Amino acid sequence: MTTVPDDTAPDETFGLEVTTGEERDVRVQVRGDLDHETAEELLEAARAHLRSDRPPRHLHLDCARLTLCDSMGLAALLLIHRHALAAGTRLHLDNRPGMLEHLLELTGTLDHFAQAEKGGDDRPAHEDPPPHSAAGSPPPAHPG
Amino acid sequence: MTTFEGASRQPRGLVRHVGASWMQAPYPALVADSSGGVVEANAAATHLFPGAVSGAWLDHVVPGWLADAHRRAGEEGQPPRPVRGRHEDLTLEAHPTVGTDGDIVWWLVDDTDRLLAETALRSERERTAFLADASSRLLASLNVPRCMEVAVQLAASHLADAALLVMPAAGRRHPIAASVGGAPAEHSSARIDPSAVTGLSEALQGFPPVPSRWIDPATLPDWAVPEGFDGPAGSVVVTPLPGHGIPAGALILLRRGDHAAFDASEEVFARVFAARAGAALSAARMYAEQAGITATLMVELLPPKLHPVRGVEYAGGYRASRDTERIGGDFYDVHPGAGSDQETLAVLGDVCGKGLDAAVLTGKIRTTLQALLPLAEDHEKLLRLLNGTLLTGRHTRYATLVLASVRREGRVTRLRLTSAGHPRPLIVRRSGEVEEADTAGTLIGALPDVHARTAEVLLQPGEACLLYTDGITEAKGGPLGDVRFGTRRLREAVADCAGMPAEAVVERVQMLAAEWVGGRPHDDMAVLAISVPHSTHLTAVDGRTPGRYTT
Amino acid sequence: MTQALDPPEDAAAPASAAARPPGPDSLVAARRALWHAVRDRDESRAARSVFDLLDAGADAEDVLLGVIARVQFTVGEEWAAGRLSVAAEHAATAIHDRIIAAMSHREAEARPADATPAAAVTVACVDGEWHSLPARILAEVLRLRGHRVDFLGAQVPTPHLVAHLHHTAPAAVALSSSIPTRLPAAHAAITAVQAVGIPVLAGGAAFGPDGRYARLLGADAWAPDARGAADALARGVPRPAAGAVRQTIDDLPHLADQEFTMVSRSRGQLVKNTMAALEDRLPAMRAYTEAQRERTAEDVAHIVEFLAAALYTDDSGLLTRFLDWTGDILEARGVPARVLGPALEILQDELKDFPRALRFLAEGHAALDGRGTRPTIPGTGSEA
Repeated sequence: MTTVPDDTAPDETFGLEVTTGEERDVRVQVRGDLDHETAEELLEAARAHLRSDRPPRHLHLDCARLTLCDSMGLAALLLIHRHALAAGTRLHLDNRPGMLEHLLELTGTLDHFAQAEKGGDDRPAHEDPPPHSAAGSPPPAHPG
Repeated sequence: MTTFEGASRQPRGLVRHVGASWMQAPYPALVADSSGGVVEANAAATHLFPGAVSGAWLDHVVPGWLADAHRRAGEEGQPPRPVRGRHEDLTLEAHPTVGTDGDIVWWLVDDTDRLLAETALRSERERTAFLADASSRLLASLNVPRCMEVAVQLAASHLADAALLVMPAAGRRHPIAASVGGAPAEHSSARIDPSAVTGLSEALQGFPPVPSRWIDPATLPDWAVPEGFDGPAGSVVVTPLPGHGIPAGALILLRRGDHAAFDASEEVFARVFAARAGAALSAARMYAEQAGITATLMVELLPPKLHPVRGVEYAGGYRASRDTERIGGDFYDVHPGAGSDQETLAVLGDVCGKGLDAAVLTGKIRTTLQALLPLAEDHEKLLRLLNGTLLTGRHTRYATLVLASVRREGRVTRLRLTSAGHPRPLIVRRSGEVEEADTAGTLIGALPDVHARTAEVLLQPGEACLLYTDGITEAKGGPLGDVRFGTRRLREAVADCAGMPAEAVVERVQMLAAEWVGGRPHDDMAVLAISVPHSTHLTAVDGRTPGRYTT
Repeated sequence: MTQALDPPEDAAAPASAAARPPGPDSLVAARRALWHAVRDRDESRAARSVFDLLDAGADAEDVLLGVIARVQFTVGEEWAAGRLSVAAEHAATAIHDRIIAAMSHREAEARPADATPAAAVTVACVDGEWHSLPARILAEVLRLRGHRVDFLGAQVPTPHLVAHLHHTAPAAVALSSSIPTRLPAAHAAITAVQAVGIPVLAGGAAFGPDGRYARLLGADAWAPDARGAADALARGVPRPAAGAVRQTIDDLPHLADQEFTMVSRSRGQLVKNTMAALEDRLPAMRAYTEAQRERTAEDVAHIVEFLAAALYTDDSGLLTRFLDWTGDILEARGVPARVLGPALEILQDELKDFPRALRFLAEGHAALDGRGTRPTIPGTGSEA
């Protein structure tokens, strides 16, 4: 039989790779399509860090290998952003491919994410943890 | 060959060979010689054929078929074969054993019971096959009247001469289907008194059926004897159709007087059939109820029919992502302003997600927008209020949409277009140029504050404005199978749409997008075209005015 | 393409149409007027040409079939000959659609309220079929003849159709399809409708000029045109045995060789491979613009789709007729039909392990070679 590749075969499969760096930095590499089927997985992974007793100072979502982001994907990013804000974590969408940039621009959310990277937003969020907790004692528990 | 032990007598030939105990054998057995004379018969054989004593001629004392078989056995060179025939009300099988001197012992086996059993078995098989076939026919349609038809036709062709299916009363009337001899069923709806037929009101309440012999066919009311049933009814069966907890109806079976009455096994079989029919009918009824509820609830969620408003045409097209669904996350509406000089607000949008969940959110947005219509003069303000209503702490399911306020002012038509995080509307010029409206804004329902910039656009007669969702531009397919349809192709598709009726613009875009995706999966796709006709249109198309067309 | 419309030259006809009593002449005149109006995208003038005729007492069925359907046919012909753009074809179709809707409104009011309706019929286009006008005309003809008609429109997903049938249980379904590549979808629809116990009357160009594919796919009846369909329904189409669910392979045992499956599942890849090989073989293609490249890819994709449909029906003629027709279309636009040759040869290389596909492609190629350079569409060359 001639082996003609099947059109119906899926694209690059979705996957996450989480690495924890120094200084409580978490980097999540997002691979494949972020859509209604996979958004929940990213959300759960991000929540696991943001809801921990010691949320990361920075959460980097590396989008270099992101192949698609649909409306549910963007909704997940917005929700992660909201959780990050509550946890005092700065959210970074790194290496954004053109289509993600376009989507953020079109939906008027680019500024919103940009502010999050700077650590400022339209809602008050605590900046760096207070000095005493930086020494190693657990930070106060965050609501939500 | 069996050799019997304990032979005490030494009769001739074969009898000697097989021994004498055959004389006591429970089977009738008789020995005849080659000339057709009875040599000996045991007690059982003489009981069967009283004249069969030694010396009698077979022809005179046994049935012809046995005498013939004996004659043939003598003539043929081959060993004789068993034969079968009737004697009085018995069926006998005669097995020959040939001796060396030409004598033949005929062992006679009463076959009557086995035959009866075989007949019963065959009819049981036929019944099972009938039930299997009936089930698949009954379950094929989820339409209640159709299911009733199938049930009475099957019953009237296989179980009885005529059949009626009486449904529980809908209001005061009972829906009834009837068939005579399996002919196409007749439907009626009648005010009947079920108690006029013995056992019917009980059956309709789910009580067990009364025995057929209790029902006097002579007392049947006219409505219970279907038209075309010739001759008086001889016997009647009334059996309930069990449903989901409540009876689905009752089946009345009629046989003519000149046909055999229903026997007990047929009554049981009618019950078995009625159980299947009841299950099918209940499933159909449940489907109809569910479909009815869904349809009622979906009316608000389905895309509306659009009509021309004050010299401007609107047309919409929608295709849900899954073919089994009619609703999804895209929506559009057109709200004519109250006064004749007021703007019409057209809106097209897209909420996150697909299917029913998304559709419910579109319903909420559409309702809220309708309530906010008086504020349509200021799009940004309207969007802020909408955002406030939709914002929740639980999730970030958002919507993007485009607002278009439209007013025809003589020859020109003025549009105010505002995108809230949505693909920008396209403007189709008479020159064939396609422009993107210069508007931008924030999506709705996820962020605490939203901004928007409104664009003003003037349309000349023949020009059009197209709102669409990204299901169109993101659609993957094309000749290579994995290419996005994209904005460029969309712009090319509408470039020569100037002067077309709005429906044609929508249809063209939908068709190209559908051809592009082929059979592949796609997102919800919605298009709304706003077009300014040259000066005339068919008013009859709006479905409200009776006229033919206006000039 | 035999019944070409009268040469569309005289534009002065519409005014006189109403004055004359309706007869063959007035149909001809109205046809001419309607053709001119839809060509100019003038909906009002188009509507007047039809309604004046009706006002003069013309039979609505004659108007539908003898005027609108005929002009629509001309629209298709003019497109094939390269004299009408696709957009113009759409505009004309939309105008016809709206005139029919307005006619329907008018006729519904004229119908006596107490008339007993004839059997209920559901009219639908196969999934993926966008040409709904023939089905719409049929729906109107059936309404005029007293049927209760549910017209479901273009591109009806089969699950929607079946849900509708459970709800309404019509006496028959009239299923329309014009493109043979929709035959697999039509087959799915036919068997699904029959499984509900409702007979299917198939119609439209997809089913072949003699309805051979309707028979092949097990439709209960076939009609060559709207009148034929109405007559067939009047005679009554017997119900199929309900619940007798057929599998595709029961009707089409040749599908067991999997060639249809493989070709249709990998059609995108086949087109890609063919495009790459074409560029190797034809240096001129490397200078193509993106749009030209896309047109070429579309042509190749169509060949693959028709090959798949030919494999589905096991009829090489389906592919051959398509190639011949494409040849006409190309030549009407000044492109020689033999440009299709290399693509067919490359597909033969790609599908060398599929004996049926190979045979069909070879037959198609031979048919192309056998074509003269004659233009087969009347009038091509002088006006194109």
